[in-house]
Amino acid sequence: MQIQMVIFSEPKAGQAPGEWEDCACGGVVDEGADGHVTRRARFVVVDGATDAYDSLRWVDQLVTWFVPQPDAAPEPRLEPAAMRAWFSRMQDRWAQESPAVFDSVVEERKFAEVGSFATLLGCELSGLDGPAPSWTAVALGDTVLFHVRSGHLLATFPQLGPDDFGSRPDGVSTLPSRLGQMTDRMLIGSGSLAIGDFLFAATDAMAHWILRAIARGDETVWAVLAGLAHPSVFASLVNDYRRVRNNQERMKNDDVTLLRLRVLEDQPSFLLRSL
Amino acid sequence: MYEKDISRTDPGCIVFLLDRSDSMQERWGNTQETMAEGAARVLNEILLDACLRSQGEPGRARHYFDIGIFGYGIRPIAGGEGVESAFGGVLAGIPLVPLPDLRDSPVAVREYPSPDRGAPPSRVPVWVEPVHGGRTPMCEAIAVAGAHVYDWVTAHPDSFPPIIINITDGMVTDNPYQGATLDQWAERLTGIQTSDGPPLLFNIFLSPASGGGVLFPASSRGLPAPGPDLFRISSPLPPLMCANASHTGTEVKAGARGFGFNADARMLVSFLEIGTRVDLRD
Repeated sequence: MQIQMVIFSEPKAGQAPGEWEDCACGGVVDEGADGHVTRRARFVVVDGATDAYDSLRWVDQLVTWFVPQPDAAPEPRLEPAAMRAWFSRMQDRWAQESPAVFDSVVEERKFAEVGSFATLLGCELSGLDGPAPSWTAVALGDTVLFHVRSGHLLATFPQLGPDDFGSRPDGVSTLPSRLGQMTDRMLIGSGSLAIGDFLFAATDAMAHWILRAIARGDETVWAVLAGLAHPSVFASLVNDYRRVRNNQERMKNDDVTLLRLRVLEDQPSFLLRSL
Repeated sequence: MYEKDISRTDPGCIVFLLDRSDSMQERWGNTQETMAEGAARVLNEILLDACLRSQGEPGRARHYFDIGIFGYGIRPIAGGEGVESAFGGVLAGIPLVPLPDLRDSPVAVREYPSPDRGAPPSRVPVWVEPVHGGRTPMCEAIAVAGAHVYDWVTAHPDSFPPIIINITDGMVTDNPYQGATLDQWAERLTGIQTSDGPPLLFNIFLSPASGGGVLFPASSRGLPAPGPDLFRISSPLPPLMCANASHTGTEVKAGARGFGFNADARMLVSFLEIGTRVDLRD
């Protein structure tokens, strides 16, 4: 079984690409030796809060340490105790790499009292070489995973509806005082995979737009997203829907990220390409 | 109306009208503070909150808001009685200050012991100092604020409408002012429009007595003077601020106005938090 992963992104209208405060990353790991190699894939999508401190550094750190890296500590298992330990390690690293002196008393207090914050959707695909491939995901906040088979929605994780998007989602905070709350509110989901399935992970503006389309009975959205072939097509799609007059069909002007993952049959080895 | 997010492209505007009349020297309820001290303290906390929200990247703040504070009553800088900007230091005399400039220019940073044992003292920036004296020229305050709001709206026609919050403890003493009544000055102020609606004029009346205060009432029935007058000129609370109120556990009925009466310090904090919280976009 092969995995094809593509990440599309578009910053808020009027903002430079460098101000995109989402982040996404994915990777594939082959584990084992002596003919017992197993393959698993992992991806993560995070959305830094607009009014957080230094969101760009926080989202970059979270995605960097969530996916497999050579010569690095193993990435966290997707269960509460391991994720709590990982959150704590991330907070320690954040503090270690922060400025020793701040530019103003406001910045000093922002760092200490508010810190940074991002929603997180992390997912692992396992059993890719076996008879029962599956996905397992963790979520804090309103970045949403959609599992689609044959043009129909199989699962939404977390199970949000169009009315569940607000300005105070759960997320991963840099404040150690939030560690317990983050762990308590983290959700875990899973599902079985089949050849031809799509997984879409979308930050809140696009997830909201998708869920409203589904609520209207419009499942053509899956064909549209599955057919996106170039970043410029994605940018046009997002910007067109930001300008739609009908409020129910309009996409909120926010940073938008869509990670699309397609499950494919094994390909001849000369066609394989590592992610 | 009132659906625009605040962004650097379309920033917001918040104007505070701060009563600095002589009666603000009275003790505020059971506290050790005068109303002038308490109002200045709460205002500094709200300004700090706005600055904290704007502090995105290290070393710089985002221009989400222009902030004005107009004191009415005694004028410590110009002298005499009337209306003037309540900012001091390098911001003195500037009517509307961009948030990044506000962040960089408190008149003082004071240290207070931390409630957590062993923790370093809390450093608190101060932009507004407590002052009291003279009468209560509220009409003039609305007139002065209205002129600056008009200019601001002309420059930001597609922004979330300006929010004007009047903090007072007294009866207006200059009604009518330049031939117009308090109601007429309020109508002139709220007659200005951005594409997202007219400015929001909120009023909160402080009381030296403890208890019996109301926040965001839907009627002025039963309120003593000047409650009905201030209720009448207060804008209806828009849905987003009703949602703010429900998030903080404050009950708001249909038809609620941006008005508080006989408020203590806790109520003033709630009032300002609910009345100034607008979603930020970028």
